Amino acid sequence: MGNNRDYALIERCQRGDRRALEEMVGHYEKPIFNAAYRILGNPDDAADTTQVVFMKAFEHLGQYDPKYKFFSWIYRIAINESINQLKRVKNSQPLDDTEVAGTRGPDATVEADDLSRDIQQGLMDLTEDYRTVVVLRHFSECSYRQISEILQIPEKTVKSRLYSARQSMKESLRARGTY
Amino acid sequence: MEERIIQLINADIDGEITSSERQELESVLESSADARDMRSELLKLNNLLDSMPMKEPPTDLSHKILDQIKLPAGKKTFSLAGLFSSFQPVTVGVAFAAGLLVTVSFYEMIPGIGVPGDTAGMVGTMVSSQARTTQAVKNDIFLEGDGFSGTVSLNENAGIYVLNFDLDSENRTDVQVGLGRTGLAFGGFAEVKGNADEVMNSVAISGSTLKVQNLGRQQFAVFLRETHPGEVVDTKSITIDFSSNLDSNYQGEPES
Repeated sequence: MGNNRDYALIERCQRGDRRALEEMVGHYEKPIFNAAYRILGNPDDAADTTQVVFMKAFEHLGQYDPKYKFFSWIYRIAINESINQLKRVKNSQPLDDTEVAGTRGPDATVEADDLSRDIQQGLMDLTEDYRTVVVLRHFSECSYRQISEILQIPEKTVKSRLYSARQSMKESLRARGTY
Repeated sequence: MEERIIQLINADIDGEITSSERQELESVLESSADARDMRSELLKLNNLLDSMPMKEPPTDLSHKILDQIKLPAGKKTFSLAGLFSSFQPVTVGVAFAAGLLVTVSFYEMIPGIGVPGDTAGMVGTMVSSQARTTQAVKNDIFLEGDGFSGTVSLNENAGIYVLNFDLDSENRTDVQVGLGRTGLAFGGFAEVKGNADEVMNSVAISGSTLKVQNLGRQQFAVFLRETHPGEVVDTKSITIDFSSNLDSNYQGEPES
């Protein structure tokens, strides 16, 4: 969704147009949920966080500066809220088991589930800073520049965090025999 | 391994490498087995991460999100522009204005502000005009929406145009009449006594636009005069915009 399109929808939202709101939610719900899920490692927390993200974004819509991309703005809220949520629930919940729990399917499905679980665990082993850049790069498909805008850090820092995160992740996955 | 080579390999697998950097990297890869191994490992990790499917959010998440968001007190608008295109001659006699004039107080329109004016003068003019002919033109528009209903009619008799509003709104509704290049200008404003709220307290004119705030049941009339008597008047270009804080859409259509 382009920023012009986003901005037109925001203006409609500010005029009380709920159809515009539905369009915005429809567009950003899944990517925000996925970013939160990959940072938090738990779908319930990710769903709660996604709700909070949208609530805060629209509560403070008047503070949104159209000079910047709405995409970057709502992702910044999502990352901050995910990290806040992470701090709240740290060590209180196990990693999501839902993907591998229940009925076991064919071997290929089980392998995919195991791989997904290992990768998520590899992400959880990273520090928050490292995990955030990996999530934005690989799960939200952001460029260095977009990550820089979202996290409000220089591109150079984005690159160095990403390189270090990958090294850590390689080692983590190798230790699990995934890599 | 040199920081520069690590940077080039990462930029390459991220698709953020420039053409000159690519040449530089290719040269390094040709000569360094370590660099090739590193690139291969990072590429494998990259592919693993990118192969992870997006997870579907809970099916009720969007409803929960939408339910909790209260949008700013925005406004819903619709326009009646163009609806007067079916402006047709009908015989309405003196009745169209007589009922109105009996019960209205009239205010002379002064551009920029609305102030009480000479009631008797305008009443006399209207009656006098209608007395000359019973042939008039009329067009009614019926409005219906949640918490809002009413009619707007445009009447013309002997060069005098009157927009009659009979509106009933639960929420405050802004009514904006635009004359643009219609060949008409605002000539007066009349308010039916007994309105739930004083219309005249909220009338404002700016150029060829008049704004009225409506709340509750209100009846008022906007008198229009020809800016150049004798020239063609384009009633199709009259616009009437309604906006309120209601969520629902209004529908305006010519009354059958």
